[in-house]
Amino acid sequence: MTKHSIMFIDDEKIVGDMAKLSFEQDGYEVETFLDGESALERLQEKRFDVVVTDMKMKGIDGLEVLRTVKKLYPGIKVIMITAFANLDVAIEALRDDVHDFFPKPVKIKELKASVKRALGEA
Amino acid sequence: MKIQHKIYLSNAVHILLIVLIGIFALQNLNEILTKFRFTVIAEGLNANFLEMRLAEKNYFLYGDDTALDNIRGRINQTSDTLLQVRRDITRAVGAEKYSELQDNLHVYTQLIESISTARHRDAAAQKKLREAGQKLKTFSENITTLESDRIEAIIVRSKNILLYSFWAVVLFAFLFSNLIVRNIGKSLRKVVDLTRAISKGNYPKIEEKPSNDEMGAVISAISVMADELHNREKELVQSKRLASIGILVAGVAHELNNPLNNISMLAQTYAEVYDGLGKEDRIGFMERVDEEVERLRVIIHNLLDYAKPKEQHLAKATTNQVIQKILALVQNMLDISNIKIKLVLAEDLPYIYIDEHQIQQVLVNMATNAIQAMDKGGELYIGSRYLPDNDEIEIEIGDKGKGIAPEFLDHIFDPFFTTKGDSGTGLGLWVSYGIIKNHQGNIRVTSQIGIGTTFIITLPSCKKLKRCTDDEA
Repeated sequence: MTKHSIMFIDDEKIVGDMAKLSFEQDGYEVETFLDGESALERLQEKRFDVVVTDMKMKGIDGLEVLRTVKKLYPGIKVIMITAFANLDVAIEALRDDVHDFFPKPVKIKELKASVKRALGEA
Repeated sequence: MKIQHKIYLSNAVHILLIVLIGIFALQNLNEILTKFRFTVIAEGLNANFLEMRLAEKNYFLYGDDTALDNIRGRINQTSDTLLQVRRDITRAVGAEKYSELQDNLHVYTQLIESISTARHRDAAAQKKLREAGQKLKTFSENITTLESDRIEAIIVRSKNILLYSFWAVVLFAFLFSNLIVRNIGKSLRKVVDLTRAISKGNYPKIEEKPSNDEMGAVISAISVMADELHNREKELVQSKRLASIGILVAGVAHELNNPLNNISMLAQTYAEVYDGLGKEDRIGFMERVDEEVERLRVIIHNLLDYAKPKEQHLAKATTNQVIQKILALVQNMLDISNIKIKLVLAEDLPYIYIDEHQIQQVLVNMATNAIQAMDKGGELYIGSRYLPDNDEIEIEIGDKGKGIAPEFLDHIFDPFFTTKGDSGTGLGLWVSYGIIKNHQGNIRVTSQIGIGTTFIITLPSCKKLKRCTDDEA
């Protein structure tokens, strides 16, 4: 059975590092990116099963990642993480068919449950 | 007194003057008319006397009795007339002269009667009669001349008085309208000054009690408007301050949430993967936690540092000296970045009244921003000049760097807003803005992408803040 692949985008390096450690232990294949640009570049080459992205980033932000992913692979579920929950941004993300929305600090267990739902495993 | 009332009063005075002049002219005309009528009567008397004298001559020449009848008729007529105009004559020449005239007429009548009865035409009687006749005629001629002279005198007097009154009315009108115009002009200038000051954002307190007229009402209304505007501005500043606190809180939340999230994720993952970790890995985890805690500590320290209300040490200072001092501070940065400096400092600037340390902090901040915007080298422009209209000093700091995108310009003074990525705290311009506002000054920014950015700081002069006397400024 092929592993499910997850893309993590966050300009905080620790987020990616910890997510990689934690999710790989659960048997996922994880790639981490520190900005939207490199992530979108990678998406041109490889389809991921789930994308988890930070909302506020320099350059290409979470919303733009969400839109691009939906355009490239309408089936991929996108989970958004934000350091500061802003209702306007949340509404905009929902309109663009975000799968889930997590404020920081993130509970990894909840994130994992959400990823499972996104993959249709739960 | 209200302007309306002043104009009413002026009109009333004008009308009164014109009525007085009219009454005077009317009186003079009446007097002239009376005198003229009297002159006509006097001329009539004169003509009568002349006829009497002619008849008298005829009688003596030809002894014609009809001449005597003619004279008698004339005498009767004259007596009647004299009775009629007795008052006029009395008024013109006095009662004495009047009775003298009557006596003369009486003498003449008697002489005529005696000549008629005696029928003698001796030279002595003739002479007496001629003398009496001549007296009558001279008298009536005198009256006529006298009255003519008086009429002329009245006309001359009227003419003069009309002429003087004309000038008096003109002068009064000129002085009064001048007074009102000057009054209104003074008030209007005040209104202009006030509105100008208000439009510049100053709210002058009107100390003196406004005059009790329409202009006073206008000035009071403007004063009320200025107060209202001032209050609204204060409210606006307050709401902006609250908004900026909101932005600050949001910024703080975001800044704190990231390291908190990192610590949280480190802890959660640590517990999850603990069994698979070696000693080094575990130490690595804890070191990363400590780094994030340090990050939090720095943020909190910075915030406290900025939030702490610093005591201002205000003193008289020279703008150009402050600029020279900060240049020494940034010189090293300029050299490293290969940036030239262009100084355009105006001489004889008035003193400013500042906390020099704080203003230096602002200028260093601006200069540092400018230098960082010119990572490929360039020119830093620093200028100072005096704005006499507002009694303010303007400091301009410009770079030929990248420029700021228009959508960011509105936010550059917001706390935690930075275009510098991790190298900026986003607090520098926010703090600078606060410092300049505390100095009752202002910061503006203009920027064009690819051309550069200019910050313009204005500070009130020491004198404007009433901290320096004229001599010191």
